[in-house]
Amino acid sequence: MKINLLALTSILGMAGAIAGAITTQKLRKWLSSLFGIATCVSGLVAAIEVLHSNHPMIFQSNKILVLSGYSLQLDRFGALFVASGAVVGIASMIFRLGYSGHGLASRTASFVLPLFVMTLLLVPAATNVTTFLFLWEIMAIASLLLVLVDHRKRPEVSNAGQWYGVMTHLGAASILIGFVLLAIYAKSQSFASMEATAHHLPSWVRTSSFFLLLIGFGSKAGLVPLHVWLPKAHPEAPGPVSALMSAAMVNLGLYGVVRVGLGILGGGPTWWWLTVMALGALSAMFGSLHSATSTDLKRLLAYSTTDNIGLMFLGVGAAGLFQSTGHQSLALIALVAALLHMAFHALFKGSLFLSASSLQQATGSRDLDSLGGLLSKMPVTGTIFLIGSLSIAALPPLCGFVSEWLLLQSMLHGLPSSNPSLAIAMPVGVGVLALTGGLTALTFVKAVGIGILGQARSKPANDAHEVRPTMWVGAGLLSAMCFLFGVAPFLVIPSVINSSKELIGTNVANPLVGGWQVGLLGNQGAIEPGLLAFLIVVFVAIIGGLRKLIQAPSVRRAEAWGCGRETQTSRMEYTATSFGEPVVRVFEDVLSPSHNLDASQLSESRYYVEAAHFHTSLDDAFERRLYRQAAAGLRWWGSNARRLPNGSIHRYLMFGMVALVVVLVALG
Amino acid sequence: MLSLAVGSVLVCAIIAIWVSSTRLLIRVLATQGLALGIVALVLGMHERDLSLAATAVVVLALKGVFMPLMLSKVGSRSLNNLGLKPLVNIPASLAASAVLIVLAFGSSRVITSFVDTPIGSLAPVGVATLLIGFFVLVARRRPVFQMAGLMLVDNGIDLVAFLCSAGVPFLIELGVSLDVLLAVVVLMVLAQRLATEFGDLDVGDLRELHD
Repeated sequence: MKINLLALTSILGMAGAIAGAITTQKLRKWLSSLFGIATCVSGLVAAIEVLHSNHPMIFQSNKILVLSGYSLQLDRFGALFVASGAVVGIASMIFRLGYSGHGLASRTASFVLPLFVMTLLLVPAATNVTTFLFLWEIMAIASLLLVLVDHRKRPEVSNAGQWYGVMTHLGAASILIGFVLLAIYAKSQSFASMEATAHHLPSWVRTSSFFLLLIGFGSKAGLVPLHVWLPKAHPEAPGPVSALMSAAMVNLGLYGVVRVGLGILGGGPTWWWLTVMALGALSAMFGSLHSATSTDLKRLLAYSTTDNIGLMFLGVGAAGLFQSTGHQSLALIALVAALLHMAFHALFKGSLFLSASSLQQATGSRDLDSLGGLLSKMPVTGTIFLIGSLSIAALPPLCGFVSEWLLLQSMLHGLPSSNPSLAIAMPVGVGVLALTGGLTALTFVKAVGIGILGQARSKPANDAHEVRPTMWVGAGLLSAMCFLFGVAPFLVIPSVINSSKELIGTNVANPLVGGWQVGLLGNQGAIEPGLLAFLIVVFVAIIGGLRKLIQAPSVRRAEAWGCGRETQTSRMEYTATSFGEPVVRVFEDVLSPSHNLDASQLSESRYYVEAAHFHTSLDDAFERRLYRQAAAGLRWWGSNARRLPNGSIHRYLMFGMVALVVVLVALG
Repeated sequence: MLSLAVGSVLVCAIIAIWVSSTRLLIRVLATQGLALGIVALVLGMHERDLSLAATAVVVLALKGVFMPLMLSKVGSRSLNNLGLKPLVNIPASLAASAVLIVLAFGSSRVITSFVDTPIGSLAPVGVATLLIGFFVLVARRRPVFQMAGLMLVDNGIDLVAFLCSAGVPFLIELGVSLDVLLAVVVLMVLAQRLATEFGDLDVGDLRELHD
């Protein structure tokens, strides 16, 4: 008998949750992680099976969710997200075995973590609204609980949890209303029948449901201006959870938008996609700007997630735009580039978050200004972080390069177009991509240069030791894949092309160069990352060998650029704050930094300063201008409304009566 | 006979607003319970429905006899607060109940449009009783009157149910009646506790418990 892998994934996830809830403290960490790994392996096998066959995998049961039924159907498009989520899940679960996170050992966390992993894998397989929202909400609540595990120790955690809780519920409400609108007109809640009726819908229904779902999924993806929870919640979550959230959960926001916009609704008018592109461009620039100026390592990574999600939405928007103007082949390329970036972002962001958590565990700090010198103290973790950084900065021969290259190519080839909206949108997109790429490079020069190179800036950083092998195996798995797919992209690109074709339902010929090359057919722009890698190795070897040959054998050690100083201390080094300072100055209007200088003068004379303390901070412009204002308005309304119930029973009874009368009058 | 019984339910509700003595109030409620029971009984005989007749017997027993008896227990103990003025005085209450009755008849089209039998067209009377009960709840201070208001609301709902669907299933009627019975018992106990604790019983004074 053949086992249904989707059912197996569900069962393993739930078994892990139960095992985590009922066993002893020592056992539950292992059991819940191992069940988590098993869940991911099962999901991964299912996804690979689907990607290599023409048939979707189906699992249906009417016993789990009454009325609608628990209905899963994994097609190739969903399988792509399942596969990348499963890989991140396996790495995070291996990492968790060695991670001595404080709150993550609790019973609640051990119960919730396997459920979170399971829902990450099953959301892309849901085929009706109830199943989808059921899994989606478990995912949201599980991740919220996991963010909150340390709330007793640090007040920032509960603050982050509140932001996340509110945003995720607003998002879920928006998704619910959007789907309900579609379901009313389809007279069924299955995605297939919605797709069948989508073309006969009135245009206001199509537009409003698309934008409601865009808001809901965009808030989960961390799209500006719905991103405010992300740079708070992702850094405060324990290591493996932040990797899962930032590398796998945000992708499901992208999944939702693509599934609805290009799949169920089958594309839309040009202005929809221009909006998506604009939001993506805004997110990419805003995220990269904040990550370039952030000095908190995990916050930097979280903002860079917003940046990368922005790039994916830029690609999806371009795909929709090409489709709405009839350029099927270009639409396919843009979608492939966006999905490829999604999969690769999962790899490098996962490895970055995991290795950053290792650094945090070894030094007890996430502040870049108190790290430094860690590459020599923690060589394996440092190397993993370095590979992740090179990959996210889109340098060959790592995977980040491949996807950003394709994205750039797809937009560049939209340039010679007679359509005015294309002619305007594409150059802007290319510009955004270039600016973001530059800022990302700057960000990770800072993260690597200040975080792990140089001298230790604090005593904990000086005393740091390499973390346990399970931790670096988990993170290393992902960076090995970064290298593998960067050199040999042909291992994944055909699957991505097939799933994109299936989704948008085109039959155009494969527009990409196959084999070791990456690029568009019939263009000069194809690049062979494998060859590049080989050349890099050869050049490094040649230069290293030449240096050995040319250099004089006698070695003299002295401080380079010592200028007469005895020693170099860490106080003389560049800090992350000063590294980001030029960017802050250039973008002062957007970032609006606040400076605070406290100086205490000597009592004898005001002109002599006894001590000075300088503090500078950046906060999120959207948070300050939009959300804090809205929250203040709500608070004002709430405090006024509190005067209404004054404790008098008669008044409460009168409320009931008035409500009844109003309903009667309204209906009668 | 049916119209007479239905009418007397409403008349009882109006009288319940009018009276200020506890003893009289309880008699009025008993009469209303009996009238409601008769409505159910007549309908049961008309439809030859045994379970409706059984319901009628239960209603007669509960609302005509048992609950008024219990109320009179509370009433006899808390005679000392007779001087407590209602929030809305009696002429104004009567005027308000007139408005409520008009409102009930005006707005019950929703209910009567479902049932086009001549019996169903009497349903607004039940809605009016319900609204008057609510009004008693809002406008009276003494706990006995509050309980009476609650019973008026329940009687109104029952009347609508009887008239529209020729009675609710026996089980549901039993459940609803027991629910109200329980609420009355709990309120009774609370009222007695409050009376022994503070001597005086003005429901409005509970406002002081607010934070």
